[in-house]
Amino acid sequence: MRSLPLANLLHHKVGSAFSAMGIGIGVCMMVTLGGLSRGIVYEIADRWEGVDADLIVYPRKVGESVTMLTGAGISDRYEEVLPQKYPGKITRITPVFLWQMRLAGQSQMVAGITNKDMDVITGGAKAVAGKNSFSPTIPWQQLMDRTEKSQRLAYVRIHGNEDDFVFDPQPHDLRKAGWLEMIIDERLASAGNYAPGDTVEAAGATWTIAGIVPAGVLSRVIIPRRTAQYLFGGSVEQSTILFIKLVSDEPPGPVARQLADDLQQQVVPLAAYREMLLKQFGVFFVYVDAVNTVAIIIAVLFIMVVLYTMVLQRSREIAILKSFGSTNRFIVTQVLTEAMILTVTGAIIGISLALLSGWLIGKFMPLMTVSITPQWMAAGLAAAVFGALISAIYPAWRATRVDMLGALTYE
Amino acid sequence: MNDILTASNLYKSFGQGAGKVEVLRGLDINVARGEFLAVMGPSGCGKSTLLHVLGLMTNHDEGSITFNGSDIPLAASARAEIRRKSIGFVFQRFNLISVLSAEDNVEISLKVRGATPKTPVNDLFEAMGIADVAARKPSQMSIGQQQRVAIIRALAHSPEILFADEPTGNLDSESSAALLQLLGIINRETGQTIVMITHSANAAAHADRIITMSDGKC
Repeated sequence: MRSLPLANLLHHKVGSAFSAMGIGIGVCMMVTLGGLSRGIVYEIADRWEGVDADLIVYPRKVGESVTMLTGAGISDRYEEVLPQKYPGKITRITPVFLWQMRLAGQSQMVAGITNKDMDVITGGAKAVAGKNSFSPTIPWQQLMDRTEKSQRLAYVRIHGNEDDFVFDPQPHDLRKAGWLEMIIDERLASAGNYAPGDTVEAAGATWTIAGIVPAGVLSRVIIPRRTAQYLFGGSVEQSTILFIKLVSDEPPGPVARQLADDLQQQVVPLAAYREMLLKQFGVFFVYVDAVNTVAIIIAVLFIMVVLYTMVLQRSREIAILKSFGSTNRFIVTQVLTEAMILTVTGAIIGISLALLSGWLIGKFMPLMTVSITPQWMAAGLAAAVFGALISAIYPAWRATRVDMLGALTYE
Repeated sequence: MNDILTASNLYKSFGQGAGKVEVLRGLDINVARGEFLAVMGPSGCGKSTLLHVLGLMTNHDEGSITFNGSDIPLAASARAEIRRKSIGFVFQRFNLISVLSAEDNVEISLKVRGATPKTPVNDLFEAMGIADVAARKPSQMSIGQQQRVAIIRALAHSPEILFADEPTGNLDSESSAALLQLLGIINRETGQTIVMITHSANAAAHADRIITMSDGKC
């Protein structure tokens, strides 16, 4: 025997399809928005956690804005000093100069590093195209080094010391240099349709793409550290942050506290970065969750209207069941079953649409990350089912109040 | 005689105040077990209301009804229980569920009643001569076929009493005659108690006993 709720839904195919689609759009919106907002942040956190280090050092003055940090702040000399000072604890220091650059239509984080530190931030991944290191002799950088040295010597000759010496490369120096190098990740390459050897305009200069590394490295754009310092940091040998690799059995927490006291800088375990990021995006998540909540409320009201209308339209059918002596429980079960069939169908449509949206976003906007996880799908289904149960209560109650005789006699 | 149903001094009215209409006015009636009773009367005399009251589909205002020697309770759940177990109803407009097949219309009645038919539903369709339309929806059947499905549905759970409200009201003369003959056979062969409302003398002639209503009384 075909169940009455299913028979009703199949009999009113267009109405059922629209209702399920309405629920599906609500679920799709919830899963996609949730997956998009969390996905972007989690992807950044994943990239940072992929760095082969245990601690991050950043300037104390920055406070909690480490996730937005750029420019010069901490001396590169720590790279040599700290391993010597803590020989049994620290094995490696990686200074990274962070900056922002607009590429492929949006702002990208840029990491300035040296060739020898490439393995730290790429996890040793090989280039998928081109090379995963910069040319050992970059003409422009060599020129800058020579120019700075000669200008510094000239300054000392004139002033007797170099205390107030400022090296300020001029645009004609850049033009003389001719080219700069960058390495990008494959998602940026896909978004900008870039290939090794291509030149791009960014941050007021022309860059040549030296290579493409797999997605998941610290930043989508990697440039030589000294180049970054010359261009964006006034040539000082300072970086934005330091990554510290500890001896394997050293606990990050206590070492972080010791270093923070010693350096008078902020030192946090790399594992805490995700939490810092989530805290920073907390308000953003509240907005997204508020939008999702509104979507769910609209979906619940939508289901309620659909079911209420259904009950009104089927009062004769309900009256027939009552004439058989049907219990209220049986009638309520019919309404709830119909709501559940609609809702689960809608949720499946919604999750399918969300997966499709995720795929389309990934294909056409590769820099955006949609994290449609089983947890989000389960949450979408659970919200829809819970919402349907809540919204079906009143229509189900109304169904039990149908005037049997009136419906059978006068309709 | 062994009465399955008796009602005495029944009153039933609709509306209130100046608009109040008294439909049953101190009506007495008894139905013997196994009899085929026809209730006749002009339109508006209260025949259908009587059937609805006796079929426990609506409450009476005053009077008493006993079913199998017990007073009918007023609680809706108890009355629904009696409807489920002991009463079958055939409506003038059949009241089949339009989205279900003929067979499923019978099955859902059995499901609601928690009953297992003594005779398989397929055999009932076979016996009624409509086995070929069992899978069809009401809109795909003739009026006569729909009424037969309604009768199968009303009898499948073996009720103690079958109420039929103008069962031939929507049928042509040929189908009416066939249906009345069928009800007569069911009554004679199975001892099924039937109370039929009709305004047709020809239809009433198929019954064992005829009572006539006038102004809310028999």
